[in-house]
Amino acid sequence: MKMRHSVFMLAGLLASGGGQAASLYAGQAKAAAVCSQCHGIRNPSADAPFPPLGGRDTEYLKTAIKQYRDKTRVSEIMNAIAGSLTDKDINDIAHYYGSVKP
Amino acid sequence: MKKTITRRLNQSLLAVSITTLLSSGVAMAKSDDMHQLYEDNCASCHGSDHGGYLAPALNSETLKGRSPTALRTIVMAGSFDTLMPPFYGKLSDDEIRGVIKHLQATPKQPNPAWTIDDMKKSLKVYVKDESTLPAKPTFQIDNIDNLIGVAARGKYGRGEGSRAIFINSVTHQKVGEVPTGVAAHIIDFNPANPRWAYVKTDTAEIFKVDLYSMQAVRSIKTGWNGPGMGVSRDGKYIMAGSFVPHNAVILDADTLEPLKTFELEGIDPDGKMVSSDSGMIIGTPYADIFAIALENAGQVWIVDYKKEGFPVTKIEKVGRHLHDAFLTHGGKKLMVASYDDSIVAAIDLEERKLIKQLPAGCVPHVGGGSAVVVDGRTLGFGTNFGDCDKMVVSVWDLDKMEVVKQIPVSGGTESPAAHANAPYVAVDIISKDRRARTVQLIDKKTLEVVKTLDVGGHAYFPEYSADGKFLYISAGYNGDEVVVYDSNTLQKVASVPMESPAGIFSRGRVKYMTRGLSPDEMEQSK
Repeated sequence: MKMRHSVFMLAGLLASGGGQAASLYAGQAKAAAVCSQCHGIRNPSADAPFPPLGGRDTEYLKTAIKQYRDKTRVSEIMNAIAGSLTDKDINDIAHYYGSVKP
Repeated sequence: MKKTITRRLNQSLLAVSITTLLSSGVAMAKSDDMHQLYEDNCASCHGSDHGGYLAPALNSETLKGRSPTALRTIVMAGSFDTLMPPFYGKLSDDEIRGVIKHLQATPKQPNPAWTIDDMKKSLKVYVKDESTLPAKPTFQIDNIDNLIGVAARGKYGRGEGSRAIFINSVTHQKVGEVPTGVAAHIIDFNPANPRWAYVKTDTAEIFKVDLYSMQAVRSIKTGWNGPGMGVSRDGKYIMAGSFVPHNAVILDADTLEPLKTFELEGIDPDGKMVSSDSGMIIGTPYADIFAIALENAGQVWIVDYKKEGFPVTKIEKVGRHLHDAFLTHGGKKLMVASYDDSIVAAIDLEERKLIKQLPAGCVPHVGGGSAVVVDGRTLGFGTNFGDCDKMVVSVWDLDKMEVVKQIPVSGGTESPAAHANAPYVAVDIISKDRRARTVQLIDKKTLEVVKTLDVGGHAYFPEYSADGKFLYISAGYNGDEVVVYDSNTLQKVASVPMESPAGIFSRGRVKYMTRGLSPDEMEQSK
């Protein structure tokens, strides 16, 4: 499965000439595995204390997740969860949530 | 949230007032608190007796040797690809640590009682005078059979997101939402009066719902946990059964008043006297009876609801750990899934005896079951829960009661959907990886998987609309939508957003009895 992902991504990179190309597909997979349990896809649960991510500004999401990862913004749970994300993961996730209509 | 605040206040008041008390008193109060916290947040899935239900058992035995830190992480962040939600921000860190400590010290509880008097006291009336209800639906629908009910669980299995949501399956628009407090599990429709539906929750409350005005008019708590519920063919009685405690009850379908309870116990196929969970309960269009499966006792009981005292006929040695079932032959025969010996047992409801035990896959779970008539043969379809080497959907000839084929599928399956007018039988793949996103379609004629739909989320509980034109599928947890497909082209035609949808129930079921049969099948039996 992992192999196929990287082939997809590679194709994406080549097509767009490399650089910061985000994969919505990879972003969706990562968001489903890491974020949506609390933040939902379109919306978090009506009962949940978590902020929605769907439809938020992509650049804002990128900055916020990086701050959590780098612990410049302190939250016990977010520092732990974002800690393992790569720049590429964050880029994909931010683009994915940015593209979702809440 | 309010409850948590109250509890915290209580705790601090307690803390102040106990300074003069002995420390054993403190520990006692804390344990009671944690028990209540468990009941309020965990028990609807993990079982009021700590014995497990939809989710694993949590007690001193099952959690022995588990790291409290690892358990705390699961409670805080939830468990990926399961129904377990994140409790971070809902429970304080002290509460999470406290409940884990409590669980690791608490053995599985003896079956807590819920008597007929408890049930009577729990009866709530929301609409006193039912004559004030509208005479016809207050929303646009050509035929009430086009209603589809979805058990939306809500992320936490309780709260705002827990609702029975009703959809017009012609327009794919929501036409009503009935909050149920705790996750709805089963929706049954009254076969005699189109305005009533009954919704049962994971904590065994039954709501009587007026479909014309889309509101609950009454509710009653029939136990602590357990999904079993059936409605009689005359629409006058409901029978409900529980996992906790081990009993079943017959209710007046009109008032929801309990009429008689039944203690579920009997001698299992291995000769042991056991107390038993209630499995499926079903009313049949064929006669004035309910059939109920006693899970652990391996018996099927037939209850005559028109006879004085509701007499019971017991059919013994049906199988080891019975669960769900479906009807065939005009409702005269019942196919009951048996988990532990991987068979589906055919029961003759007329003769009140076991006809035959048919081989199935691993851990057969037939859901609502399906039966289709192909080239003059009536074929039954049975799904299988278990993940093992032999992942199949069973097909039986229901006239000859023999296996026709074990169709290989890509994983464990939970519920088959079929319709007389639709070419495919849909089965939900529930194996816990990417396959959980998918539903596979079996061609009725060739009996082979011809297509795999990538629905997303944890896709389960497919159901056809009453006219067979559309296939509804719950994208489940991590999906938060019901996805609608055209039954023939299999193109996605609509999405209905809701929180953690699970079971889908078409009102058409009361017409065709078992999904896949034509309404004519029912007519023949009258």
